Amino acid sequence: MDIAAGLLQGFAVALQPANLLWCFVGVLLGTVVGIMPGLGPPATIAMLLPITALMNPAGAMIMLAGIYYGAKYGGSTTSILLNVPGESASVVTCLDGYAMARKGRAGAALGIAAIASFIAGTVGVLGLMLVAPPLARFALAFSAPEYFALMAFGLSMVVLLAGRSMAKALLAMLVGLWIAGIGTDLFTSTSRFTFGRMELLSGIDFVVVAIGIFAIGEVLANLEAREEPQLLPVPKGLRNLLPTMQDLRDCRFAFAQGSVIGFLVGVLPGAGSTIASFISYGVEKAFSRRREEFGSGVIEGVAAPEGANNSETGGALVPLLTLGIPGSGTTAILLAALVLWGFRPGPLFIAENPNLFWGLVASMYIGNVMLLILNLPLVPLFAQVLRTPVYVLYPLILGVSIVGIYASSGSLFDLMLLSGFGLFGYLMRKLDYPSAPLILGLVLGGAMERALRQSLMMSEGSLTILVSRPISAVMLSFALLILLVPLFSRFNSWRLRALEQKD
Amino acid sequence: MKIFPALVTALVATQAQAFTPTRPIEVVVHTGPGGGSDLLARAAVLIIEKEKLAPVRMQVVNKPGGGSTLAAAYLFEKKGDPHTIGFFTGVWLTSPITTAEAKVTLRDLTPIARLVLEPAVIAVKADAPYKTLGDFVAVAKKNPGQLKQSGGSVTSRDNVVRQLLQKSSGARWAFISFPGGGERISALLGGHVNMMVIEPSEAGEHIRAGNMRVLAQVSEKRLAGFPNAPTLKEAGFDVPSVPQVRGVVAPPGIAADNVAYWEDIFRKLTRTASWRKFLEDNQFEDGYQNATELARFYDEFTSQMRGILQEAGVKIVR
Repeated sequence: MDIAAGLLQGFAVALQPANLLWCFVGVLLGTVVGIMPGLGPPATIAMLLPITALMNPAGAMIMLAGIYYGAKYGGSTTSILLNVPGESASVVTCLDGYAMARKGRAGAALGIAAIASFIAGTVGVLGLMLVAPPLARFALAFSAPEYFALMAFGLSMVVLLAGRSMAKALLAMLVGLWIAGIGTDLFTSTSRFTFGRMELLSGIDFVVVAIGIFAIGEVLANLEAREEPQLLPVPKGLRNLLPTMQDLRDCRFAFAQGSVIGFLVGVLPGAGSTIASFISYGVEKAFSRRREEFGSGVIEGVAAPEGANNSETGGALVPLLTLGIPGSGTTAILLAALVLWGFRPGPLFIAENPNLFWGLVASMYIGNVMLLILNLPLVPLFAQVLRTPVYVLYPLILGVSIVGIYASSGSLFDLMLLSGFGLFGYLMRKLDYPSAPLILGLVLGGAMERALRQSLMMSEGSLTILVSRPISAVMLSFALLILLVPLFSRFNSWRLRALEQKD
Repeated sequence: MKIFPALVTALVATQAQAFTPTRPIEVVVHTGPGGGSDLLARAAVLIIEKEKLAPVRMQVVNKPGGGSTLAAAYLFEKKGDPHTIGFFTGVWLTSPITTAEAKVTLRDLTPIARLVLEPAVIAVKADAPYKTLGDFVAVAKKNPGQLKQSGGSVTSRDNVVRQLLQKSSGARWAFISFPGGGERISALLGGHVNMMVIEPSEAGEHIRAGNMRVLAQVSEKRLAGFPNAPTLKEAGFDVPSVPQVRGVVAPPGIAADNVAYWEDIFRKLTRTASWRKFLEDNQFEDGYQNATELARFYDEFTSQMRGILQEAGVKIVR
């Protein structure tokens, strides 16, 4: 079908008052779910499934998708304000977002997160609309060796996340990789590092580690500072709370690359938004002229990952709608919902249900506008949270973290892990170990190990499969290039020093 | 040997039912929201509420972790609780065989009913050279280890079917594990593997779109959706068709009238028109068995699996 005609037809569906209402309900719920750490879109959508069975499928699909992409908007809020990632895809946002909040720029960080989400979310829908079928074929060309190369590319970012000491960064990354190895091995059903605890059989939830190390570790480290409780600076006036024109200019590249990387990673069934946000952050840093300032509150360090995790939703819908292949927990439930409503998701889905597909696409444009209008006015409101004195703020962070973890898993064991990782995070801070490489290793470790072993099973043990396939070879060379970045900058600083000495 | 509450049930089933629930029922599943067990449980709950089979509300509770291990342990801890039930699958039967930490077997819980059997089909990409399962096995035999199958974990039904076929034919091909169903299908459609064992409802649309072809079905008789594909036996492979099994269990130590009550509800459930339609929509087979039959099925299934997994080189712990 012609795209213009399809989109027009889609808007006719999406602009029906009832569907507009469902779209708004979806994005509102999504924002709320995103803000709450622990509670994620999969659980929310599953809870709503029985209700949607009574709804008109187009309205129901519009609402559920709204929850899905709406949650990505809300996820950054607690990352920036409290250093508690609201969703796994917003973990990287903590790095620069929380640093910005501590410098009194929480409003700008929240604002840029909403703007980046809007731009990238819209680009994601554009991608879904324009290139879905050919891109789905591209995704099929991706198999284990390509995933391994993608993960290797992601892992090479460690050199960019390192602080003063590369050795400490690599050690932290290895700990992350080790934690990723805990649990039942998929290929042999052997338990690894479970110490006889059945709670460890399915591994350690990445969110528990992230919240423990970021939020609890931060609170513990700050408890030590026994000086007069001081308020974090929050500038007065709406104008000072929103991003400036300079901020927007600084983020131009982040908007663009975040949108593209997020969408492309989203299309791959084996990757996901957390990986997309890490890669986008790394790429932003690699190309940045102020690389050394990352981690101390750079606005594009918020824009890149927040953009990527939003355009990822558009990408993730590509294999779901064009092939009936879900790539994540949330899309798996959306697939189940389609079956429940009597559809047959698969390669013929779009052709046979153009109204539903185009209605959904059109509703996503509308939903993203709604989210921007919904989220920007909330920025000054949320920024006020930081006006609370630290003796209220830190217990609040602890409370939000503990309730968030317990609400999502209902397991006391996870709370013990949370405390353990909190202490660990505190020690890392004391000993000046960067925490981002640990999280990076943890996010990529499982998928990377699986991809390597799958590749070797495909090639009957020959490593050449990793370099003989073009996509994989290209990505591995990128990884190598990134590994060389610190060498270049060291060379550059030598050169500058030499120049200075000559003068 | 424990005395089976189910046996007692059979004796008292004819008596008047004394037990009726007074609190909302907790329905434990071992997958997260959206997993197979979760969806089945939610569908069953929806139908039970619609048909007013139970006087109280039923709430699905997700206890994911360690395959089925955490959910089984949770049910075991609910010993004697009349307001909790759980949905089990084949994983609940195989996990204790291979995982030392999975201490609770179905024997330690109270069997209630077996509900569905999920058949499977063996599919290849539409442009693959194999027209029959015999073709595939012959090529695999000529090139040992060259052909590949995508599937779930090593203890999954996919691998069990492969082991059975390999043993009966002497052929050998590789089994590559992927954690998600989507990744398994992508690997096949992308031409990275040659074959997969797939659920009929998942395969249906890809076949209709001309991307996949079915070589055989892992089922005792031909499924309505696949009238032209032979069963394993018809294709010349005399191996048992391993079903994915799903059903209901309760905590240990509940009263006999309590068991009878659950048995009755789920028997009534399987006779409703909505349940029939649900089975048909998902291409499931009605696998209803009562508590006594389920206990017997459990013993047979477990010893059969133990043998197959042992031959597959998986470490057996109990």
